[in-house]
Amino acid sequence: MRRFRSVAVAATVAALTATSLAACGGDGDDSGANVLKLWHYESANSAMGIAWDRAIEIFSDEHPGVEVRFERKAFEQIQQNAGMIINSAEGPDIMEYNKGNATAGLLSSQGLLTDLTAEATERGWDKALSPSLQTTARYDKGVMGSGNWYGVPNYGEYVMVYYNKELFAEHGVTVPTTLAEMTAAMDTFVAKGVTPLGMSGAEYPAGQLFYQLALSRADRDFVNDYQLYANPVDFKADPLRYGAETFAEWVRRGYIAKDSASLKAEDMGTSFISGKVPMIVSGSWWYGRFKSEISYDWDSFLFPGNTMHAGSSGNLWVVPETSKAKNLAYDFIDITMRPEIQALIGNNGGVPVAGDPAAISDEKDRKLIENFNTISGQDGLAFYPDWPVPGYYDVLVSGFQGLINQSRSPEQVLDAIAKPYQDGVAEITRD
Amino acid sequence: MAVTLTPPRAGGRTRRVPDRHHRGVTRWIVLALVTVAALVMLVPFAFMLLNAFKSPGDYSNNGPLSWPTEFYTTGLRTYWEQVDFPVKLWNSILISGSVAVLAVVVSLLSAYALGIGRVRGRLWIIGLFLLANMLPQEALIYPLYHFAKEAGLYNTRLAVIIIFTVIQAAFGTYLLASVLSTFPRTLLEAAALDGAGKWRILWRVVLPNVRPTISVLLVFFFIWTWNEFLIPLVMLIDNQTQTVPVALASLQGDRLMDAPTTNAGALLSLLPAILFFLVFQRTLARGITAGADK
Amino acid sequence: MAVPDTVAARPGATPSPPTGKTPRRPRRPDAGYWLYLLPGAVMFLLVIGGPLIYTGYLSLTRWSGVGDPSFIGLDNYRTLLTDDVFWTSFRNTIAMIVAMVVLPTLIGLVLAAVLFDTIGRRFRPRTAAALRAAFYLPQVLPVVVAGIVWGWILRPDGALNGLFDAIGLGALSHDWLGDPGTALPVVMAVMIWVQLGYPVVVFMAALERVDPELYEAAEIDGAGWWRRFRAITLPQIRPETFVVGLTCTIAAMKVFGPIYALTRGGPENATNVPSYFAYFTFFKRLNVGYGSAISMVLTLIIVVVAVLFIRAQNRAERRDGGL
Repeated sequence: MRRFRSVAVAATVAALTATSLAACGGDGDDSGANVLKLWHYESANSAMGIAWDRAIEIFSDEHPGVEVRFERKAFEQIQQNAGMIINSAEGPDIMEYNKGNATAGLLSSQGLLTDLTAEATERGWDKALSPSLQTTARYDKGVMGSGNWYGVPNYGEYVMVYYNKELFAEHGVTVPTTLAEMTAAMDTFVAKGVTPLGMSGAEYPAGQLFYQLALSRADRDFVNDYQLYANPVDFKADPLRYGAETFAEWVRRGYIAKDSASLKAEDMGTSFISGKVPMIVSGSWWYGRFKSEISYDWDSFLFPGNTMHAGSSGNLWVVPETSKAKNLAYDFIDITMRPEIQALIGNNGGVPVAGDPAAISDEKDRKLIENFNTISGQDGLAFYPDWPVPGYYDVLVSGFQGLINQSRSPEQVLDAIAKPYQDGVAEITRD
Repeated sequence: MAVTLTPPRAGGRTRRVPDRHHRGVTRWIVLALVTVAALVMLVPFAFMLLNAFKSPGDYSNNGPLSWPTEFYTTGLRTYWEQVDFPVKLWNSILISGSVAVLAVVVSLLSAYALGIGRVRGRLWIIGLFLLANMLPQEALIYPLYHFAKEAGLYNTRLAVIIIFTVIQAAFGTYLLASVLSTFPRTLLEAAALDGAGKWRILWRVVLPNVRPTISVLLVFFFIWTWNEFLIPLVMLIDNQTQTVPVALASLQGDRLMDAPTTNAGALLSLLPAILFFLVFQRTLARGITAGADK
Repeated sequence: MAVPDTVAARPGATPSPPTGKTPRRPRRPDAGYWLYLLPGAVMFLLVIGGPLIYTGYLSLTRWSGVGDPSFIGLDNYRTLLTDDVFWTSFRNTIAMIVAMVVLPTLIGLVLAAVLFDTIGRRFRPRTAAALRAAFYLPQVLPVVVAGIVWGWILRPDGALNGLFDAIGLGALSHDWLGDPGTALPVVMAVMIWVQLGYPVVVFMAALERVDPELYEAAEIDGAGWWRRFRAITLPQIRPETFVVGLTCTIAAMKVFGPIYALTRGGPENATNVPSYFAYFTFFKRLNVGYGSAISMVLTLIIVVVAVLFIRAQNRAERRDGGL
């Protein structure tokens, strides 16, 4: 018994002394800061992870007296608690954060992020980024597209069609250039008993395919209405109606497997990697992984016939208002915009925002970037379907599971996704 | 304690003659059935093992159900280095261990007052304590963040220890109070006759008799706290303070997930908790032997 | 039913003072014990009392989690009453109670008794301990990982369908978690898997308080396994049965992790539960006020259930002449 008691006492003492070693950043005076706390959540072997590691090295060379305290974070943690983290004295001096109204927009409207407008003009970031990439960097009362700069994107992303060249050759299918050719190609596969499109109903891919289909009938005005609330959006009219109806038709015709409602994006990706499906419609974030894991011959093409494509800038570098080393943070952002770092992103399967395709050695990588520049040049980045209102991601997932399961009609699904959108927009534009 | 068996009630089942059956085949059948059930319980763990040593390419090409083509340990190694596993392990052990011990002590003290002391309104007090268990954690997060920040405890392990000590002690208090309310009075009175005070009775008479329950509580508190995710995710934002499950979550990116590394990480995260349980198995198993020290 | 012949003291009745030198006896049995409640009570007020009041306040506001909440009175509660998802999620709670309370407790009782009375006594105790460990292992697994692993088993090209194909029952193949009709039963099955170890361990620990000679004596009297189970096992571990019942009910009503890991409330809200709905409202819809309202209603319902439970337990204890 005595032993038990002494253990209990020891543990209590240990618990009470286990207060954290709260890292003291630099002092309030910025110019003298000698620590840069930097957080991001890209994996070490991703294009961004590799490029930013190099950026940290360069930064350390150029600021010999400064210690960079880098921490790799869980995406979930930043996603969920960014407001709490930035609102405390424990946060970083610079961090990666998601672009969009519900994330960077919300925090900027609450005065938690530093206004970077002056830096952007002075350091020429505003010249390096095309106007459609700047959309996600600038926020006015929390709505993206105009106003001050609150973040700086380093890379771009867009949705395309990945295809298995060997399966195409085997079934005598050529790369489609119009939506009609695309459906003809898929009919060929279905006739051979092959499900042409890999799909994931439990995560983002279903919503993105629906959006791509809708965008085949849409222009920039629609995107401004849908994403920036310029005008009310009618869900029962084209392009959204066309998107939902065509999606349902693709399920009916067997282009999409009827048992994909519960599949995660990871399952869709691995089914493409293992050569089970000839095509998937998904984003450039897969590129690096496909390059390293796929053993057959594969390539990608832009979603046929569309001028508008789901895509945007990547995540942003933001500087919290509580940052104790703002000037150092600006220097770091500037380094990530340099051609050397941008080329690193491009050479590792990422899409640089200020890159020169000529600096990219690998032919596939170059094509990825050229395609992005094509979209960006024709002002064709349409962002993502789940962006307009917080929590819309799950609404879309739930809706399109209904179409994949054929338990609901396109009409019902459009109704189901219209209401949360309208409620959310009303909430955002209330003030 | 003597217990008398009441005679079978009228209309009860007819008695079976147990002996020959039980000594023979039946017990083996029972053993076989229970063993099969236990093996079924373990199937998911087999899958985990299978995939923890598979290369990402192998996993993508052949899926989660195939034999690994090579014995791939890079996943384990990357995870170990990438998340600085020893630091996370220490944090988790410190937090879970402190919570287990503190919560057991607090539970025992409270349950002593409620179950043995039978203080006024104890039902209400037990109910109130249980509130700690009833509140959905997601509802606690914003207020707790706020209080922790005010107290200067945001991003400290101490904050997490305090929070979980309360949450777990609520359960412990209830369980122990229920158990202690059936505590034989004769023992207490005998001890009181010998002139033992409340404090001595608690440690000398009550504690030895509820040791199995206390062991169970220690195991539960440790493992429950070990696997907690939401509150540590919010409260511990620094790599220096984070726990193992939070580190595990860092393997899941925005849109990509590396299943084999996740598995390797999961396996590593699981081992300490399993070890802890197995060590305590002995304490738990002590009483199964016939003629335990009563 | 067997009645343990412990001293049956009525609550509040002072045990008759024994003769001889009496230590200073307080007039009321309460006095002096209050001190022991102090540590628990102080911590409780800080960690639970304060936040509960705070959440109550937040439920009357509109707030996105950053900046200042704006007071809107009972609006959130009014919205809640007409929110279909909220009602769906509460319906699913019933299923969760079946899967996390009723079945695991019943199976756990029988399993614990079998492990203790049959296997523990007729084979080596170590065998019983090893089997118990196997049943408990799912409790040790972080729930997010459990979600991933079960995903492999249940997905359309997963292990379960593979097994059906292998034994020639390919017709039974199914998208288990994708079909709204089967998702909830399948999640329930996984919950039984997760929960089962907990009652088994608690009940086995409880059985250790029982004098093994009881079983010996009963056996000599010719009582079969079933009678021993009813006459000795059940009454002896009644306190734990109540505790397991109540704590599992609470856990079932606020179940979050497994749902988050397995289905995120899908497909089409078929497996949504209040706690996940609240989480989603807090952190995805950034509507902290509404999330707090959901949490308050959920808490209130849990409190009512718990009070009924504790009262029933108290009555049973008195009837049994336990204290």
